[in-house]
Amino acid sequence: MGTVHARSLDPLPMKGPELGVQADDLDVGDAEYEPQQEVLENKDVVVQRVHIDGLGRTKEDFLTYEIADVFRAKNLIDVMKKSHDARQRLLRLGIFRQVEVIIDTSHGEDALPNGLDITFDVKEFRRLTGSYNTMVGNNEGSMVLGLKLPNVFGRAEKLTFQFSYGTKETSYGLSFFKPQAGRFERNFSVNLYKVTGQFPWSSLRETDRGISTEFSFPIWKTNHTLKWEGVWRELGCLARTASFAVREESGHSLKSSLSHAMVIDTRNSPILPKKGALLKINQELAGYTGGDARFLKEDFEIQLNRRLFWDSVLSASLWGGLLLPFGDKPTSIADRFYLGGPTSVRGFSMYSIGPQSEGDYLGGEVYWAGGLHLYTPLPFRPGRGGFGDLFRTHFFLNAGNLCNLNYGEGPRAHLSRLAECVRWSYGAGIVLRLGNIARLELNYCIPMGVQSGDRICDGVQFGAGIRFL
Amino acid sequence: MSLAAEAFVSQIAAAEPWPENAILYQPLREDQILLSDCASSLAVQAYLRMLGLPVRVQCRANAEYMSPSGKVPFIHVGNQVVSELGPIVQFTRAKGHSLSDGLDDVQRAEMKAYMELVNNMLLTAELYIQWCDENTAAEITRPRYSSPYSWPLNHILAYQKQWEVRRKMSAIGWAGKTLEQVYEDVSQCCQALSQRLGTQPFFFNKQPTELDALVFGHLFTILTTRLTTDELSEKIKSYSNLLSFCRRIEQTYFESQDRDSQLGASDYSKGPSLM
Repeated sequence: MGTVHARSLDPLPMKGPELGVQADDLDVGDAEYEPQQEVLENKDVVVQRVHIDGLGRTKEDFLTYEIADVFRAKNLIDVMKKSHDARQRLLRLGIFRQVEVIIDTSHGEDALPNGLDITFDVKEFRRLTGSYNTMVGNNEGSMVLGLKLPNVFGRAEKLTFQFSYGTKETSYGLSFFKPQAGRFERNFSVNLYKVTGQFPWSSLRETDRGISTEFSFPIWKTNHTLKWEGVWRELGCLARTASFAVREESGHSLKSSLSHAMVIDTRNSPILPKKGALLKINQELAGYTGGDARFLKEDFEIQLNRRLFWDSVLSASLWGGLLLPFGDKPTSIADRFYLGGPTSVRGFSMYSIGPQSEGDYLGGEVYWAGGLHLYTPLPFRPGRGGFGDLFRTHFFLNAGNLCNLNYGEGPRAHLSRLAECVRWSYGAGIVLRLGNIARLELNYCIPMGVQSGDRICDGVQFGAGIRFL
Repeated sequence: MSLAAEAFVSQIAAAEPWPENAILYQPLREDQILLSDCASSLAVQAYLRMLGLPVRVQCRANAEYMSPSGKVPFIHVGNQVVSELGPIVQFTRAKGHSLSDGLDDVQRAEMKAYMELVNNMLLTAELYIQWCDENTAAEITRPRYSSPYSWPLNHILAYQKQWEVRRKMSAIGWAGKTLEQVYEDVSQCCQALSQRLGTQPFFFNKQPTELDALVFGHLFTILTTRLTTDELSEKIKSYSNLLSFCRRIEQTYFESQDRDSQLGASDYSKGPSLM
């Protein structure tokens, strides 16, 4: 799997993402082609035919967009590069288990002397794939059943269904995804879901039933997502002892919101990047399309990474958000921001900063948080080049604040509110990367600037998550 | 919370006196509250007034969901939250306030039996008429119940509640009853209450008990609430001693007290008067 066969030529090494090592760690450059470039560069070739073998339910017209570029190749090196690209594009569709490329000289009557035939030998995924898991944790056991129908209608449409039946909660999600032909990044998806969350830091239980439609498209170097979401939210107390402030928020509400997200990501990896920057801006307008939650929510995230001496990386990030309610109704506990915990301001307990009532954290309408990290390889670099590269040591300095605003006071008063009583912490720890989606941290933290009501985690703190400050 | 912890908390609660800022929560009075909830809320208010315990009424659209038992009304006293008449009676007794201390065991058992009768007959009949009579459900109950919510949540919640009540009705064997049978049940219940009351001012002679509060809450609400037909209130109006019982409690505990303490109209939630 993952090889390009070029008959009567020495095969060139092609590196695919499914090799054990992360693709983004390997600088796959053009350098590898150089030794043979002299020999082959000048020979003009014409790509006469492209075959795709092994198609079952996939529509051929959909794939022509993905492989059209191969016809533009002028010499053999070009053919190999372009067919490699085409192979990557085909794999990216998520409808083929395996794609092999065979480049051969043309046969038949109309074969040109320098004509080439390219054959993509593909293996489709099965019509239906399923998974079954059991999970135990948090005083609760659950059974998760997943069904996936890749390529339902033959044009890379994907239908996924997940159902989780637990001793306490049941949740499900059904999603339909359809990409535009030839431009996989432009896609459309519809989701239908029910999720239940228990938030012990707020003594709150939230059940969301919703439907959302999403349209994603790239513009220049940015990625945009437009989304409409309609959610029926049911809030309740997690226990009889919940504070009255949380009890008052119980009940049903309907949120219908339009949101827009923009992402620029030039990092080489989302978890433990070595270089590049990330800018994420998210805005949500609720209430204009119906529903009883009315607010404007703005949220941003910036991260800058810079490589220093000895493989160490300096990383700086800044988060911020603002929730502006419309009308006379106050904001809901489900819409407000939360801060603190091993994934944001370390040294504080999970979401345990800011306004609270009888030990239940109520969240805030505005927040900011910043972090400065120095990531270095493990001391003495054990397991270098292999398992050891999944680990990093880091030294960090985090700061942040979360509060409510009185919108009559004006921006100057708001800024001074955010600048006073800043919570901050520093420390050091070990980070483990789990694949390219999550990471684990074990830190020793020293929280500072603790305000009354905040819950701290002085000393060793363990964290797991996908989004990190 | 474990039983021991609950017992401990109620012990602490008992030690604290009744605060001035106790609040009773119920659904919105004008647009939302239903006959059965209004009756239960009025019963609790009457009970607390009979004890002379001050309570302020607050209307919240989400009162039903704020309540720990999912039923209204509930009271917030100090940092305790207690819902429904039965637990509230126990709660006040723990604090040293009781209406039924003067009764002997036989009378207390009798009182409990009559309270069960009211809950099983009057309350269930109210629920039946509200949710199982399609005319009332479509014209009054569902629009009122769903009034705080926006489309399409209003329909979802109203039908969900209706389905829930109907399921409960079939569990207790009321699903097969006709409206006439339900009116007949109400009539029989009223007859029993009327006979027990006789010519006494209260059910147990001179002193009011929680039974008086409960009966007043239901009868008064039925008499003063407009439904699609007057049949339900007509059944009660044929028992003159029950009518004068309602007037008496209204005068003693609502009108005179309000006049004495100059309480504003927003502080009690009885709705229209019988006079």
